[in-house]
Amino acid sequence: MVEGWLYDGRSAVRRSVTVAAAGSSLRVENDGGDSFEVFPADLVHIESRGDIEVYGRSDIPGWRLGLPNTAGQEVAARLPARQVYGGFIDRIGLPKALAAGALVSALILFVGYSSPAWLAPLVPMHVEKKIGNALVGDFGGEYCVGAGGQEALNKLAARLSPRAGELNIRVVNIKMVNAAALPGGNIVIFRELISEADGPDEVAGVLGHEIAHVEERHVTEGMIRHLGFGMIVALFGGSTGANADMLLAAGYSRGAEREADERAIEALKRANISPAATAKFFERLGEHEEKLGRIGDGLEYLSTHPMSQSREKLFKDAEVKGATYQPSLSRDEWEALFSICHNKPA
Amino acid sequence: MNDMSEISGARDASGSAFTFTGQWREFLPIALTNLALTIVTLGIYRFWAKARERRYLWSRTRFIDDTLEWTGTGKEMFFGFLIVMAVVVPALLVLNFGLEALILRGEFLAAGVIGFALYAGLFYLYHVARFRALRYQLSRTFWHGIRGGSDNPGWAYGLSGVWRFAVGFVTLGLLIPWAMTRLWNERWGSMSFGPHPFHAEASSEGLMGRWLLIYLAPVLGVILMGALGFAGAAAGSVSGSEDGMAMGAVAAIFFGAILFYVLLLILSLSFYALFYRHVVDATSVAGVDLRFTARTKDWLKLILGNIALVVVTLGVGLLFISYRNWSFLVCHMEAAGVVDLDVLTQTTTRAPTDAEGLADAFDFGAI
Repeated sequence: MVEGWLYDGRSAVRRSVTVAAAGSSLRVENDGGDSFEVFPADLVHIESRGDIEVYGRSDIPGWRLGLPNTAGQEVAARLPARQVYGGFIDRIGLPKALAAGALVSALILFVGYSSPAWLAPLVPMHVEKKIGNALVGDFGGEYCVGAGGQEALNKLAARLSPRAGELNIRVVNIKMVNAAALPGGNIVIFRELISEADGPDEVAGVLGHEIAHVEERHVTEGMIRHLGFGMIVALFGGSTGANADMLLAAGYSRGAEREADERAIEALKRANISPAATAKFFERLGEHEEKLGRIGDGLEYLSTHPMSQSREKLFKDAEVKGATYQPSLSRDEWEALFSICHNKPA
Repeated sequence: MNDMSEISGARDASGSAFTFTGQWREFLPIALTNLALTIVTLGIYRFWAKARERRYLWSRTRFIDDTLEWTGTGKEMFFGFLIVMAVVVPALLVLNFGLEALILRGEFLAAGVIGFALYAGLFYLYHVARFRALRYQLSRTFWHGIRGGSDNPGWAYGLSGVWRFAVGFVTLGLLIPWAMTRLWNERWGSMSFGPHPFHAEASSEGLMGRWLLIYLAPVLGVILMGALGFAGAAAGSVSGSEDGMAMGAVAAIFFGAILFYVLLLILSLSFYALFYRHVVDATSVAGVDLRFTARTKDWLKLILGNIALVVVTLGVGLLFISYRNWSFLVCHMEAAGVVDLDVLTQTTTRAPTDAEGLADAFDFGAI
């Protein structure tokens, strides 16, 4: 027989009780002489308060029985075990739970983040075009349409890719040094990138990079990764999930950027356009980078793309010494492209 | 008849009816294992982690003769989160992408209208969430085997929050203290513990002085920055060049801006400290009058302590923020009056099942 206390869950008054084993269950008798039986299956361990163990009943909220932890074997055998972390973890132990959790999570992350790479090519282009148009629209009609500019841009693209005709490449009248590949084969080049460029060959490298993003289905891949898996991880995982998503997504985007650069260099090579010009473009951006410490006009490009220095080297190293390269556009064509946001439409 | 049926909550030798007996050494293993489990489950364990944390904090919080008990579970918080996500996320996604698409198409008016409706809706939900989080927390807080709660779902409270703050903004913020106190009254006035409703009858009288001080901050800030900029320019001109003057002025204005933010923070904090004392003092339940004693300097110490802890421990201290905040609240909470245990019987309010899903979506803290 053990002495303890009881809250019955109906009144706040604490009663002194005695508890004794009775068959497979426990008999609780209060100081008023009333007694009742409790089945061990209904009992849960609530907490330890010093040398008192507190038990509750799963069927009566607020019902609490406090018993000294020195309760004799007979009573103790009918009391439930302590819970620490929550059901399943207590059963297998913390180290095993941690290992199992890490393994399952790693597997989920691996499948979740690598599957978009092979899912992306399965998305038909016309479906992606629809999604792209729904998401992107027409930039509020901010496209630049100066005479001859679009033709020059299309010609440049055609030199870089045999399938350039399927793409929708536009210059947008927004004051940013940037270019972006968007869903549905849409590529936009922002106005200031053209103004900053010193000749068509410098634009060619950047355009080749964005075309590669489209052709390698990086955009589709990124969209699936971000909207599909990343969002789920970030939603369910709270800040932990969001951080994991950020790290992994950044890793994949670095890989994609590098691949796009490599593909751009191949395209330049096929078209016999000098990669040195693109290297020079990055060199100039890199100078801004150093001088302004990443603050200032014209540096948006760096925030969405890798640091200029390493890319400058990549393009520079691709230059074949002594080779005779062709300019990517004629003088007139470049003039038209350069002024696409200023000239009147034809 | 039990001779312990009436217990006094008035100050005893230990100083307050509320005491916190937690120890950081006890809390550390809980915090660390919570962190480890949260990481390996990609964050899903955070609901169970929060439940474990609260179970500890509540169990080390003593009111008069017995400790509190937190009975909320990780599972119910996870389901509460799922319920809210299922409703809120699709709506937010559609609105968000719809807005983006409209803006990219130059439909600024339509985008503006939808955007405004979206934010008004979120503001409404924010208040509902705040109400429901409190209701949930009380319904899972037991003392002497009795819990609190409310049968009010909080939908009307959400509307009240929207219109009162709208009035507050329309009057250039002058009526925000009024909105805050009325909402406190409404929120707590809807809650109960056992059979006893909470009474909250705070007025905004006595709060306006400190509130108006906050208005002074920008004025003081501009004067300060002007003076510092001028002084900086003067100091810079010693170098003899215009560049030196400009640099001096910029540096001084930068310094002034930081000072301004610190000033604004302290003034806001001093208002909040007064507000919190004011509203808690006007709150009572079951014949017990509550009191809150933290002054501005106490709040400042808490916040600076939290920042220092996180910085010095390179972020590990983040694990202790909830512990410190809870201990702060309990240590400054006092109660006076007599609790009649015989009439403190179990509540008939429903135990809500949505836990803190909505509040979680707005990322509220424990209190």
